[in-house]
Amino acid sequence: MKFQKLSFTSILILMAAMLLISCGKATQTIEASINQGNDNQIGGVLRVLNWQGYGSDESFALDEFGKMYGVKVEHDYITSEEEMLTKLRTSPGVYDVLLPNLAYLPIAVQEGLLEPIDTSMLENWNDLLSRFKDLDDIRSNGQVYGVPWTWGATAMVYNTEVYPDGIDSMQVFWDPNYAGQIAWWDSYEDTMALVGIAMGDPDPYHPKDLNAVKQKMMELMPQVKTLWASEDEFDKLFANKDISLGVFWSGSASRAATVMGLPMKFVIPKEGAIAWIDTWAIAKDAPNREAAYRWIDYMISSGFYIRWDTEVGAPAPTTQSSIDALPADAFNRAVMGDPQVISRLVWMQTVSAEDRQQWNQIWEEVKAAQ
Amino acid sequence: MKLRLRLLPYFYVFMVMFFLYAPLVIMILMGLNRSPLYTLPIKLDLVWYRDLFHNQRLLSAGLNSILLGIAVAVTATVLGTLAAWVLARHKFRGKSLLQTLLIPPIAIPWLIIAVALLLLFFWIKVPRGLFAMYLGHVGVALPYVILLLSARFQGTDPALEEAARSLGASPLVTFLRITFPLILPGIIGALLFTFTISFDNFVISHFLAPPGVSTLPVEIYSAIRKGFTPEINAISSIIFLFSATLILISSRRIEFV
Amino acid sequence: MSFIRKNLTRFLLLLPSYSWLLFAVLIPLLIMLVFSFLSDTPLGSRDVYATLKNYQTYFSLGFYWVLTSKSILTAVYTTFICLLIAYPMAYAIARRLPGRWKAALFMLVIVPLWSNTLVRLYSWAIVLRDGGVLEYALKSIGLPIQNLSILYSYPAVIIGLVHGYLPYMVLTIYVVLDRLDDSLLEAAASLGANPWQRFLRVTVPLSLPGVIAGVIMTFIPVMGSFIEPRLLGGKEGTMIGTVIEDQFVQLFNWPLGAAIAFLLLLMVLVMLTAMGLFVRRLNRTSIGGTE
Repeated sequence: MKFQKLSFTSILILMAAMLLISCGKATQTIEASINQGNDNQIGGVLRVLNWQGYGSDESFALDEFGKMYGVKVEHDYITSEEEMLTKLRTSPGVYDVLLPNLAYLPIAVQEGLLEPIDTSMLENWNDLLSRFKDLDDIRSNGQVYGVPWTWGATAMVYNTEVYPDGIDSMQVFWDPNYAGQIAWWDSYEDTMALVGIAMGDPDPYHPKDLNAVKQKMMELMPQVKTLWASEDEFDKLFANKDISLGVFWSGSASRAATVMGLPMKFVIPKEGAIAWIDTWAIAKDAPNREAAYRWIDYMISSGFYIRWDTEVGAPAPTTQSSIDALPADAFNRAVMGDPQVISRLVWMQTVSAEDRQQWNQIWEEVKAAQ
Repeated sequence: MKLRLRLLPYFYVFMVMFFLYAPLVIMILMGLNRSPLYTLPIKLDLVWYRDLFHNQRLLSAGLNSILLGIAVAVTATVLGTLAAWVLARHKFRGKSLLQTLLIPPIAIPWLIIAVALLLLFFWIKVPRGLFAMYLGHVGVALPYVILLLSARFQGTDPALEEAARSLGASPLVTFLRITFPLILPGIIGALLFTFTISFDNFVISHFLAPPGVSTLPVEIYSAIRKGFTPEINAISSIIFLFSATLILISSRRIEFV
Repeated sequence: MSFIRKNLTRFLLLLPSYSWLLFAVLIPLLIMLVFSFLSDTPLGSRDVYATLKNYQTYFSLGFYWVLTSKSILTAVYTTFICLLIAYPMAYAIARRLPGRWKAALFMLVIVPLWSNTLVRLYSWAIVLRDGGVLEYALKSIGLPIQNLSILYSYPAVIIGLVHGYLPYMVLTIYVVLDRLDDSLLEAAASLGANPWQRFLRVTVPLSLPGVIAGVIMTFIPVMGSFIEPRLLGGKEGTMIGTVIEDQFVQLFNWPLGAAIAFLLLLMVLVMLTAMGLFVRRLNRTSIGGTE
């Protein structure tokens, strides 16, 4: 008897939970249908392939875009660039838009995973700074395949309370005085390039002496307290004072300082740092092409960018009006806009599959020796 | 002295449970801690529970995981128990082969199976989704059920069943009145195992999840890269407290023979 | 029952499980086995041909073996510690605790695993890190601890792995100890066996199926694990499982990943055969073998 009561109660609770969730969904649909009066309604669903928590899935963005065009935006998340490509390879015709890194864009184009973008259909195309709009790498056979959206640098951060005198050189990573305070980014590709930059290689993406780089990595490891694989992990290590120094991304550093209030300073060391660009692309056989174009326009609009940067924190923008709308002393305008800084940056390049395999093995070998 | 010796098992069980539950206590506390970065000292705040309530994606992922887990648990346990009975009680040609076939699903990292399933389903046009995940989860859970129930069957005396049959009981009645109560801990163990395997399964779900549909571990893992708020602690705490209560209540009704 | 009916029943009972296994696991594995002999993942734009290169790669890179032996060692430690803790636990619950607690404890043992792995491991990180809960607790009972340095080292990985597999081990052993026939123990006692002898010569052999099942369910998955090592082991947390994962997530080299996985499977089968022979010898020297 008691058992029946128990199962009855559990079923009731489950039903209540399902009711709550469907209520939430119902209100969303009602809101969507209220907007039907709007002229620009495209309707349908837009499937986006992106990193989680990287701007495009902010609730204000989904609401705004949904109201403007009557489109429901669905996200699928990835945890590595390679995974983005694999999802396209194994699910053709499912996704509409995706955010490949510029270094991976040519691979996607070569494998026929993307559609050419008709830039005349983008209102904000001419708002892009010319150094982004005129990039060779976004083009193939004269057609554009990627729309630059954000860019940033992978460089150094340190705790201003622990190192009040500041740090300006990557050599500290190999300095025993800083041992045990370092968190290093667990990426074979970026590690290869950063170590090359630290060694003064003018062309870190085509290293001549792999053994020398491997040796330098081996010398780095005893200094490192731990490796990190996500922004959140690094933030936690930093906030709990497990480490006070490390490799980090510019956008993430600005988020940590403004939103989280951490005493984190981002610096592009005198040896240089890696710079990357993320671009919006349209997948081949995108089911909702019209919504895809509207989406890209919305994403590169200064309205979206400013709100994203103010409320959450974002990497540097690629459009003139976004830069103009930033306060003059904002990190993304002052530091990332400084030509001195830009000249020290090494732009991320496409690395061949063979090279990547080899670099990955070197990094694995270094890690295995610990 | 004798009293202390008699208390020893209780003490030991308590210590082991303490070890098993320690991180859970932390998990619950961090769900109530205002800091999103797990910094101590703890400042109590319900902010994450409030955020969770608005987080459609996480809530439906949680519900998907629970329902999927139950479906997988029931299916795998039923099918696996039947197979285990045959393997444990009978000798026949090919038995060793069948037993060996249980090893690859356990030995090969699930990542390999997940990728292969993605391809296989893609080729035979099974759409990605909860049903595809269900197929995969039951597949990897079955060997565990068969192993567990075989062990249980080997520990129970077939003479009891034979006695019942010789007294005229039909196979069905024998199973319900004799076999089932004897293997009950095994059945419950299998249900719990397989629920766990499905509920905590990230790899297979990740590859078979279509855009817009998700399970809890997939949501949590993809949050790893750029944002992991303690809403996740909140939902895990709710699930834990709910299931622990359910278990405590239902265990009163279950008699292990 | 007639011969045909008997075999038909067996067949019908085995059919659902094994056809599900075939379709959802064995055929996919076969596909990956084929892949492991290819030069590239056949989904990209590259030409693909048959080759042994992936297997050769495994044997040519010295550090792959270093990682594999590290994984095997980790599996040995984890399984051994789990067994050491789980056996008395299962014994206590099955044979020493009063009836109304048995079912509850049995089920409560596995509930900790319903907090998802990542959350669980992050919670362990909070416990184990410098200035974390463990250090705080040890300090408050007066131990002069400074910088425990457990987190981001190998012992932390073992702790995390033991925590993650202990419930399975407890459950599997419980399920067999629960059915232990007291009359066998009484018979042994009346033949003059002392408690220790009764335990070693009667209880242990009869519980062996559960122990073996538990060992299989722990040792084998731990060999291929990579998430606990990564989150709790810091820079010491690389295993062969990490290498396999890299091939699928960081690179597009499924053939190499598959090849390494199947080599691991081969090693496992060899180890299991060896263990099987050992167990058979053990069975012959004890009362009440279950074969």
